[in-house]
Amino acid sequence: MDLVYSLGLLVVFLGIIVGFYALMRERDDLHRILLTDLAEILALALIALVATDLAEALILPGLVVGISELLAVSEVYLAKEELRTPPVAPPLRIEVMESAPGIMALILVTYGIVLSGFTGGAIAAVGALFYYLCKGHDERFDLIETVSGYAWVFWIGAFFIFMFLPAYWFFGVMIAGGAILVKVMAKMSLIGTMRGGANV
Amino acid sequence: MFNLPVTNIGGSELFVLEFGDIVDYFSVYTAALFAFALIFTVLAIVSRPERMVDIAFGGDAYYTKEIDPKLLRFQRFMAIACGLATLGAVVSGDVFNYALFVSMVGITNIGIVAAYRNKHVLNAAFQYGIVAMLATVPLFGGAAIVLASTGTLSLWELYLPAVAVPLIAKVFLVLGVMGEGMAPFYVAKAEITRAQGAPFILMVHVSSLLVFLRVVEIVISM
Repeated sequence: MDLVYSLGLLVVFLGIIVGFYALMRERDDLHRILLTDLAEILALALIALVATDLAEALILPGLVVGISELLAVSEVYLAKEELRTPPVAPPLRIEVMESAPGIMALILVTYGIVLSGFTGGAIAAVGALFYYLCKGHDERFDLIETVSGYAWVFWIGAFFIFMFLPAYWFFGVMIAGGAILVKVMAKMSLIGTMRGGANV
Repeated sequence: MFNLPVTNIGGSELFVLEFGDIVDYFSVYTAALFAFALIFTVLAIVSRPERMVDIAFGGDAYYTKEIDPKLLRFQRFMAIACGLATLGAVVSGDVFNYALFVSMVGITNIGIVAAYRNKHVLNAAFQYGIVAMLATVPLFGGAAIVLASTGTLSLWELYLPAVAVPLIAKVFLVLGVMGEGMAPFYVAKAEITRAQGAPFILMVHVSSLLVFLRVVEIVISM
């Protein structure tokens, strides 16, 4: 085996020993979750050391599994510590937010739709976010989530067009572009507006 | 050493399912494990543990339990997902897919255990979750070392006598599976087996047993 690989393996093993030792000493449950996340990263480092395309392809599923386990354990932690009460965030009180014209949100969203695709989605989302921040966000967020779900279906459908009916690639591009616009916009407009309120 | 009559513990091969490079296969051994996992998945689907009855020990008194259908539904979903992950793990012909399915078994096991709202049970589920997360280090590490030392992850190649897998990789794989599949030991600690939805706890045991049996086959044949 390569010298670099052996050396890297040695370093990662040292990291694993340090991480596991820290975990053994740690008594606070929240800190232990964070430390296990660190351990997951070391597992990814072990895979990454192989340094081939295959290893690269393996990191993503490894990462997904690690994140989903982290989510599951964090949920268990929240339930265990009964931390369910929503945090009370102070409402944003900025004078310009009160007086800013709503038309700016409309302009941003329209410009985003013209751009389409990922960038367009981001810009349209800024418009939506702007609107929510200025005018309040007493909206039914589950509607946005539903639209986002359908956009995902369209996006995947566009991929099927690419794969099975490549002659109609233009429709595929259009559908995928529109769907990713809606998807990015929906996701990003949820960021920052979800504060665990009553109607989320 | 002991002159086993059959050198290949997997038995003869029955059916091969190819997804490109990813080859799932049924040998006598894995088909038996698959059938076992399938039976218990079907049991998790059709069982109706809503009407649980406790019988007082040493008498003829019995009482019914209060069961929250919402939690039970989640537990059933997790049990079915766990069964499906086990089905994938026992027939996988690829070390990395095996590792992925095993960690999925770990996640769903946390879900089954954590569905019951009780301080002790949640505590146990949390500790188990930490162990399961830590176990991904040796599990994926083992798979990565297999890949680095042999250049392949396919069990077809790894089972060939010419391919030598380092001992540390095998040890890592076993350690990883031990961590992911150790839910039954936590169940013994928690009082969950007499809590609601206890039949779904069975899936925790079955999945652990099957992934242990499979890793034994993999490590011995490699």
